Amino acid sequence: MIKEYFKGPIVIISRFILGAVFVYASYDKILNPGEFARIIGNYHILPFGIENLLAIILPWVEFFVGIFLILGVMIDGATILVVLMNVVFIFAITQALARGISIECGCFSVTSETGSAIGIKTILRDIGYLFLAYIVYYRKDRKVEYFPKSI
Amino acid sequence: MNFKNHIFQVYIILSLSIVISLATNLIRTDSIPLLSKTLEQADNIELDTDEPVLLTISLEQAKEFYEKNTLFLDARDEAYYNKGHIKGALKNIFFMELLFNIESRQSKNKPLVVYCGDPGCGDSEDLAFNLQDAGFTKLYVFKGGWLEWSAANYPSESIK
Repeated sequence: MIKEYFKGPIVIISRFILGAVFVYASYDKILNPGEFARIIGNYHILPFGIENLLAIILPWVEFFVGIFLILGVMIDGATILVVLMNVVFIFAITQALARGISIECGCFSVTSETGSAIGIKTILRDIGYLFLAYIVYYRKDRKVEYFPKSI
Repeated sequence: MNFKNHIFQVYIILSLSIVISLATNLIRTDSIPLLSKTLEQADNIELDTDEPVLLTISLEQAKEFYEKNTLFLDARDEAYYNKGHIKGALKNIFFMELLFNIESRQSKNKPLVVYCGDPGCGDSEDLAFNLQDAGFTKLYVFKGGWLEWSAANYPSESIK
């Protein structure tokens, strides 16, 4: 099984990539919740009104998930959240593409002048993160993990 | 408190994020309201009142404004504007430039119609709020936007 290979540096590198990506993704959104709320609104998924609440909370979830993955704290919980968030992102982007609405991604930067459009590439990137999360969740050893200590 | 339970860890991370995010939003100077406000729909179009207005309008009302030569503002990105926009609408690339363009045409208490892509986009509201801050008093947000206008085949133009 492929899972037999999920140990040692592969797991740690996957964790660090995911962690760095999520911390980086949270930074601009934490600084500009208003802009992020506008971008969420453009996705047309949420009932009008609650995008602000999501714009306030989601970046912090990304931030803590990223930090915990890097620090080796509650890795399993953080990985489950990575999967949940990426599934939601993929769904959001797919439905926007399917409906033909061209919008800013709001994935990493919410303030860039040029804006980053959504597309197939964005979805593939998220699927890549899902695979990294798969590696981390089914890891065979628990090196560089500090809380909760197990095995 | 079983920290080895994966789902329990999820709850911990989520709770931590919610508490920290709400607390941060409470203390920061540029905090946003937890729930965004919705604009009210205009019943009838009063062009001669002096009272400040910020309301949404329907497609028919937008057409009515158009026929009265009201200035339309396109809140979308330039690429969408170039592909097609309501005839005569101004584009919003640089806000200061837009303000200058509006003021070279009319005074701040004359009506303005703002629109973006479709009923769900928030850009038109954002622009309307910015214009309100800049001192414009009669602002109408055409929620249907380019989607309804183009579907109705009303006058439009594009930049090649």
